[in-house]
Amino acid sequence: MMQVIIDALSNGGLYGLAALGVGLVFGVMRLINFAHGELITCAAYLLVVCLPWGLLPAILISLAAGTVLALLLELGVFSRLRGADPAVLLIASFGVSVLLQRAYEAIFSAFPRSGQAAAWLSEVWDVGGSQISRGSVVTVVLTLALLGGMKLAIEHTPAGLQLRAASSDFKTAQLLGVRSSRVIAAAFAASGLLAAVVGFIVFTQRGQVDPQFGVNITILALVGTVIGGLGSLMGAAVGGMAVGATISVLSNALGNDRIYTYSVLFLLVIVVLLVKPSGIFGQATLKERV
Amino acid sequence: MHSNSLLTVRGLTAGYSGLAVVFDADLIVEPGEMVGIVGPNGAGKSTLLGAIGGAVKATGGEVRFRDTNVLGMKPESIVRRGLALVPEGRHIFTDLTVAENLQLGLTARRDRSSRAQAMAAMADLFPVLKTHADHKAGHLSGGQQQQLAIARALVAEPDVIMLDEPSLGLAPTVVRDVFGVMAEIRARGTAIVVVEQRAHLVIGTATRTHVLREGRIRDTLTPAEENDEARLAHAYFGTELSTP
Repeated sequence: MMQVIIDALSNGGLYGLAALGVGLVFGVMRLINFAHGELITCAAYLLVVCLPWGLLPAILISLAAGTVLALLLELGVFSRLRGADPAVLLIASFGVSVLLQRAYEAIFSAFPRSGQAAAWLSEVWDVGGSQISRGSVVTVVLTLALLGGMKLAIEHTPAGLQLRAASSDFKTAQLLGVRSSRVIAAAFAASGLLAAVVGFIVFTQRGQVDPQFGVNITILALVGTVIGGLGSLMGAAVGGMAVGATISVLSNALGNDRIYTYSVLFLLVIVVLLVKPSGIFGQATLKERV
Repeated sequence: MHSNSLLTVRGLTAGYSGLAVVFDADLIVEPGEMVGIVGPNGAGKSTLLGAIGGAVKATGGEVRFRDTNVLGMKPESIVRRGLALVPEGRHIFTDLTVAENLQLGLTARRDRSSRAQAMAAMADLFPVLKTHADHKAGHLSGGQQQQLAIARALVAEPDVIMLDEPSLGLAPTVVRDVFGVMAEIRARGTAIVVVEQRAHLVIGTATRTHVLREGRIRDTLTPAEENDEARLAHAYFGTELSTP
């Protein structure tokens, strides 16, 4: 039972981070960034490649890689599409996603790359007779600390205030002097950093990375941002946590068969959206973006 | 035309996706002046204001603000130079508190040292905002939201504040309050450009009032001409009215 709760918390935290990463960029740009998964994958590849130099350097390089790649996507692709139709942005992000997957395939081959990030994470603790995996405990602590830190930064710093304003009404924020390109770059950088953390956690669970490594979690994170309410940053995080925790609980209850887990999950998603189409924390209408 | 005016608009043409709405507009604003822009619905008043503030794309002309042509600049760069725009419909961040809304207004401040004084000055000018500082801005009444929108622009201490229909949707007594505040803003040395659909609210108090119809400035009236109904009607509707 203890393990079920901790699994739900750790999976919830993980998906919460992924959803917040997606939600940050969506907030300021109304861009559903499909390439978020490839940020996760990039960070994981760099982690596995740099592991021979030690865990800490590998983690730092991997975090930097996620952040830099996110900024490059913004500078190289999305900043050139400012004012474009949201559909154009969506397709562009889809294109970037596929392009990066093929690039990973070309560089690292389609076969998974394995590595051992931190052996002690896969061991278990014996707490009062029940076995608790260290990895999930570390994940809970790490993700909750990060989500808490992000919440503090978003709600209690001037930069966070500008980000919230830009997420709710970009044009008005600009009229007040909020520098649009900086806010967007900051959102991408934070999104890339969160993607790298997600990449690290998923890698410690799976022990290997392939070109589609980040795809699945990104799609489910997108579901989380929709559930939480598009445009609300903390809503995205909470929505992601809800999806992650639900998956964890469902797969514990229904066995590891993905078919049942996902069927029930998406059934719940449909119910939530039927009851509250704008998401749990969503505003009724979304304002148009730059 | 003055060459060193605070704000000089010359031959401004602007619109949306290639379709011009405002043609060849000229106007100037000197420090401490109030310039009115009136005209019927759809005349292009908001487009003109938006084009000056960078929110609407201008296709031609010049907007010279304190010796810099700001045409084509991003709205955030223009407001940071001291030319503020309060768009129609207020656009308050309803999920943020009143204090947070005001704090966002500080973003455009050029003088970073005296933020606290600027916030205190706003509390002076709009006592209601101080009492509701920690409430969600969405809970304010329409008139209070309008005051917040104006205060939010003023904390940046702009040289010119452009107000788009500040009386829209407000009760007559509240409209009087808002115009009272505008008089006080002017007294502090901030120039005002105000768009109004209801001409009589503006012509008597503004230094000059331009009448816009079908995207062009048709006439310019001074307070002395406030009661010249025939001239106003002609500028407004473009036809001679049959009344004597």
